[in-house]
Amino acid sequence: MVIWDSSVLFDHWDRYMQGFGQTVLASLLALIGSLIIGTIIAILRISPYRWLNVFGAAYVEFLRNIPLLVVVFFFFLGLPSLGIPLDGFSSGTIGLMVYTSSFIAEAIRAGIQAVPKGQTEAARSSGLSYVQSMWHVVLPQAVKVVLPAVGNQMINLVKNSAILGVVAGLDLMYYADLISSDTFLPIPVYTFVALFYLVLTVPLSMAVHYMERRFARSNA
Amino acid sequence: MVVIVGPSGSGKSTLLRCINRLETITDGELVVNGVPLHNKKIDINRFRREIGMVFQHFNLYPHKKVIDNIILAPVKVLGMSNAEAREKAMTYLNRVGIGDKADSYPSQLSGGQQQRVAIARGLTMNPKIMLFDEPTSALDPEMIGEVLDVMRSLAHQGMTMVIVTHEMGFAKEAADRVIFMDEGRIVEDATSEDFFKQPKEERARTFLSRLLHH
Repeated sequence: MVIWDSSVLFDHWDRYMQGFGQTVLASLLALIGSLIIGTIIAILRISPYRWLNVFGAAYVEFLRNIPLLVVVFFFFLGLPSLGIPLDGFSSGTIGLMVYTSSFIAEAIRAGIQAVPKGQTEAARSSGLSYVQSMWHVVLPQAVKVVLPAVGNQMINLVKNSAILGVVAGLDLMYYADLISSDTFLPIPVYTFVALFYLVLTVPLSMAVHYMERRFARSNA
Repeated sequence: MVVIVGPSGSGKSTLLRCINRLETITDGELVVNGVPLHNKKIDINRFRREIGMVFQHFNLYPHKKVIDNIILAPVKVLGMSNAEAREKAMTYLNRVGIGDKADSYPSQLSGGQQQRVAIARGLTMNPKIMLFDEPTSALDPEMIGEVLDVMRSLAHQGMTMVIVTHEMGFAKEAADRVIFMDEGRIVEDATSEDFFKQPKEERARTFLSRLLHH
């Protein structure tokens, strides 16, 4: 029985590449979306308005305490049952985005709260609005604190994107399943899949480290 | 120049912070500059641009250069052009004696220099009133003088200032009016001369004698 055969990579290169491309695209879209949603939710959580706090807290607590698979199935199976059809790629990406945004929101909230209160007071006392003082004074300082945690979430997101394989999202994992069932060589097939994920995550974590060091070096 | 004095925890800073509503006003009425501050519906941002504030811990923005610390509010709140704001900022930086530090970051400055930047930051907004919340309490002794000098010269130029301070010598010599607080209340409100020579209230007398005896 053959266990290892490197030719699966070259024989199925096109499928690998197609899946890899979709994985990159899904990760990128989910990443951008979750950063935007996460920042908004974080600001809601610490805003002076009580009902916004409650909404933000509910969003975070709900989403980060259920399995990613459940979130994705809600979009993949739940919405179509209400007459809103979503394909596997979209539902997987949106699920991933929404799910990750709850973790990012928590990280950003912690970062914002690490900025001394005097900073907001100085900004507000000079007539800047709440949003202006957030944008010009608090968030730029929070970034430095938040970077390691958000960097981790970015890497998690790329890895979690494998969920698309479950909902026919045409990503790396989806094609790997196809190649594996065609070739009966799961070990080389998934080894190459792992390498493809590493091609994404290793440079990403190096980039995060680099930025951390850069921010650490810039003034206090 | 109004100076607010009194023992720790007597509500001096709270009173000062009520003037620009950094402290929430829970009860009663407070009218500043003709604006009813206790009314939640007023445009607080519009009101605050006319009141500068200097804090005990400077609260400069560490991620911005000195010059950018100063021009942020003039540009964003008053809608000044960048060039105009810079020019004004430089005028005030020179006036507080640190025009050469415009491109430094706050962390590269001494405490006294940082506090002078904070004063210039307040002044560049052209405020009607400047509030000082223990501006010298976080400074090394040798730097207190330089900050008090700046404040003194501001007073000479006619700036309206309300100052919470423990510097009694400064209060005595520079203040027009002294407010003495204890346990959250204004106990005495007098001219500087009257207050330091013949305080009316017993508590003010005790407070002053305690200060003089060490």
